[in-house]
Parts: sequence; C-alpha cells; structure tokens
Amino acid sequence: MPEMIKHSLICVALGAALLTTTVETAEADGRRTNELADDKAVRHRKLLVKQRFEFAPLFESTINADYRHVIGGGAKLEYHLSDMLSIGVIGVGSTSINTKLVNRIMDTLEDNPANPREPSRRELEVRLNSMPIHGAAYLSLTPWYGKLAAFSQAYVAFDFYFQAGVSYAKLKSDCPSMICSDTAPGENKPGPGDETTPPDNDPNNDPPLNSGSRIGLYLAFGIHVFLNDFIALDLTIRDYAFDDNPSGADFNANLAVTDEDSRFLHHLFVGVGLSIMFPTKVKRTN
Amino acid sequence: MAQPKKPVPAQEAEPEIEMEDKPAEPADGEEIDMGAEPPPGDLSADMAAADANANVVKAGAVARTPLSWKDILVVVRKPFLKAKRTELYPMVGTTLNDNMIRHYSLGGQLSYYLTDVLAIGVEGQYYVDSFREPFDLVARQARRLPTVNKYNWSGALNFHYVPVYGKFAIFDKKLVTWEVAFTAGIGAGQSEVIPRDTKFEAFTTLLIMPNVGANMRFFIAKWMTVNVGVRDYIFIDKFEPTMRVEGGINDSAEDAKANATSSFINNVMFQIGLSFWLPTSFEYTTFR
Repeated sequence: MPEMIKHSLICVALGAALLTTTVETAEADGRRTNELADDKAVRHRKLLVKQRFEFAPLFESTINADYRHVIGGGAKLEYHLSDMLSIGVIGVGSTSINTKLVNRIMDTLEDNPANPREPSRRELEVRLNSMPIHGAAYLSLTPWYGKLAAFSQAYVAFDFYFQAGVSYAKLKSDCPSMICSDTAPGENKPGPGDETTPPDNDPNNDPPLNSGSRIGLYLAFGIHVFLNDFIALDLTIRDYAFDDNPSGADFNANLAVTDEDSRFLHHLFVGVGLSIMFPTKVKRTN
Repeated sequence: MAQPKKPVPAQEAEPEIEMEDKPAEPADGEEIDMGAEPPPGDLSADMAAADANANVVKAGAVARTPLSWKDILVVVRKPFLKAKRTELYPMVGTTLNDNMIRHYSLGGQLSYYLTDVLAIGVEGQYYVDSFREPFDLVARQARRLPTVNKYNWSGALNFHYVPVYGKFAIFDKKLVTWEVAFTAGIGAGQSEVIPRDTKFEAFTTLLIMPNVGANMRFFIAKWMTVNVGVRDYIFIDKFEPTMRVEGGINDSAEDAKANATSSFINNVMFQIGLSFWLPTSFEYTTFR
C-alpha cells in the first residue's frame, strides 16, 4: 500500500514539474526579448472563477469496474480563492450494478456446488461490496484556461483543472451469518475439551471484511466549458484510492479472508456536472 | 414658412477616419505588403508577433471609428496550417475497457490533409497483451477459467475531421493552441484465442474493424504536435468454445474455430504520441 501511495504522489509531482518546466523553458529560450515577456498572456479577460462559489450538481459513474459499477448523483461545492487555486468538497450517493463479468460468472455457478472450493452463486454475490456514499475534500489548481471554437460557430471559454486531496468512501456488504459462518477465519478454534480445531481452509464461508468507512487519496482532472458567464459544463475524471477488497474473497491465496486481502485500489469515475457560479456577475482583468 | 437649416456644429459631426499612419505605396503599385515574416519553423515567434501587434493597437490613442467600420471583424490568423501537409503520427496505446486482459499497442498513422479540417490516412498497430488482476482472481476465487482473446495486429483507412479548435494560457503566461479531431475508419485486424488449457491449439480470426474516435492535438512547433486521444475499435470476435476434449470434440484448432462462439466487441484504446508534419513549415496565403 505505501508503494501505491508513493507511486501516486510521484505522478502528481511529475505532472506539476512538467507544467513548471514548460513555462520556464519558454522564458529561458530567449525568443521573447521585449517587455511582453513578463506581460500577461491575456488582457481584459473575464474572471470566470476568481472569488466565486461554484455549486455543481453532478452525475458520476465508475470506469471499467471489475465487479460492480457504481452509479450515482451528488454535488460539488468549491470556492475559488484566486484564478488558479480553489478548495472544495464533493459528495456522491450511489447505487451498484453487477458488471458483465459478475453476471457471466454467476451464470456458470451452482446453488450447491459439489466442489467445496467452489463458491455457490449466493456466496459469490453476497461478498461483493457496494459504495453507497463517497466523496472528497480537495485543493484544486487551474493552470490552463482558454477559449475554443466549435464548427466555427460556437465560441466558448474553458479551463483545465487538477485536484488532489483526501477521499472518503462508505463501503457496504451484507453477508448473512448462515453463509459467512466462520467466526475466526484462518485460525485454530477451540474444540472439545482442551483440543483445538484447525482452520477450515474454506474462504467461501468467511466474512468478506469489505464494508465500513475508508479514507484514502483523491486525484482528479477535469474541464469547465462555460456556456455563459456563470454556468459551465463540468467534465471530470476522478480517482478515489483507498484500501478495498471488492470481491470479498481470498486475494492472497492463504485460504482465509482476512484484512490482508485488502489492497490499495484506484476507483476511477467519470463525472458530468453543471457548475453554477456565484455571484453570477463576472469581473474582468485589466 | 420654411426655415433655413442650421449648420451642424463641427464637434457633433460624424468623426472622420484617422489616416495619420498611411501605409507606404507599393513600389510597383501592385505588390501586397504582407508584413515582416518570422523565420520559418518557429510557431512561438509567430504567436509572439501576433501578441506584439495586439499590444500596439491597445497602446495607441483610442480613436472613434465610423459605423461602417464596425462591421469589420479582426481575426488573428491561425498559427498552424495543415492543408496539403502530411502527418506522421507514431503512437502508443492501451486498452481502457477490458478488465481481464490489457493490450499495449505500438503503431503509427500517416495522414494527408486535403484541407485544414479534412484528412485521409492509414494506420497500423502491433499489440502486446498482459493479464489484469481479475483474470487470476476469477480462476482462483470462483474456480472459473476466463475465455479471452488477444489481438496481434490491426490496420485501418481513416478519415479525420477537425471541428473544434482553440487556445489556452498556461499560468497566464504561455499561449498554446490546440484542436479536437474526430476520426472514423474501416480496417482489419487479427485476434488469437488464448486456450484455457495450454495443451490445446490456439486459432486466429481475421476481424473487420470499423473504428471511431476523437483526439486532441496540441501545437508545439510548426513541424510537431502532441496528440492524445481515444479510439473505439468495433468488431465481432470468435472465442474458444466452452467444451474442448483431447482427442475428441473441438480438439483441433479448425474444429474449435468452426464451433467458436461470437461476440460483439468494443475495444476502446487510449492513444498518445507525437506528430511530425511534412513539409516542416508552411506559408500563409492570406493577410495577417
């Protein structure tokens, strides 16, 4: 897990360094030698985000989930401290749908398999977890802004932003005690008298240990496409990364489901929202 | 009785056009002054020149213009022209939508721009595969061996259309121009079954692969751009039949292929690469 966090942080650092290097290179190569070199790139620009609150109702869905698609709606609330920096929170309530992979597996499983190592349909399904609530608190950087022309007709302003922060997710799985009956997976249990019973080595009757609250890393990048001075289309790719074992099954092949089966996983989402900026009136730069 | 009309005061009259900086007459009376051109191959110099011109206009005295001049729009010319140029686009890619097997592709695309927004081109890709986490987990946890295919190569004839272009500023300092291109094409490829049991032979399938996609292009120099995009390759693939018995049913690759199950596949790939443009520079044919 620390390696995954380290990997993610290195990616963020490299991205920031690349952006900085681009600017420094342009200044250092000597192409621009007059006073324009230190001037702003754009004057009389509408400050579409600076010192404005952004409220965005949004829709979100996982990208390429392994076992369950998470689809939901929520809202983003953000305050833009300056033209480039902002702080915000996001919260999403979701429902979960089995992926095609799960359905295909379920179609081939039996209700009462003869092979004790093979899970029944019910054992497989009740171990999968869902994510009814997730969200994040983050710091956002908007290094790029501009305008674009679509079909030489529509001219709109846009900006790219990058976010990093802390993610939160509430995971849920409901395995009834008649299925998840092993009270001490992978451990010896007290037997009759002073004897002990060895582990049953059957991960299919172990509790999945994949519900509860998780806190992790949040990374995102996105684009605002401004439809007017105070309404923008908000498209975002978000990564909520935290410890999870989505299948609730034995991951490390020790024939028991334990906390060690959880690993640091990236949960990728695509989000579409409609941002409303307050105040609605926009200022301009000099 | 009709009154004589009062003369209009001079200060209220329609302002005259300020013509102080009258341009010099061409030497031969016909030559068009296109302004000093920056050296070829320097996109940044072109954009800096455009900035400088804009600054001169802003710094000068504000003069009222007649109403008829308000109809004239000032448009900065495009900093990058593509018409009649060839784009060589070496690229790498990876699968976005398969949670069993991930393909990495190494390929290239050659496109010729008929106009600034329309192009025709060919592409080719070679694929390398690797299994993702669920491939092993499904086998170990659910005791089921996944049926998956790998892709070996693909090629296509593509048409590109560029409907969206724009520019953005990085940290309020550096201006970068970019555009969005949509692609549609038709091509062929080869998939290969990965046998669930390695003692059986694999078989390959020739695929008809239409594709659609979109990519963003960022202009770095007159001869180079950075491209990032997504492409969906659509096809019907043949998969290994469920039952294969050694010395019996579907034992040979031919029999297995004959009894293969077919599925409609969307192979969505993320692609990134550098484009190199020939000729390496271009000349404007219109006024600045």
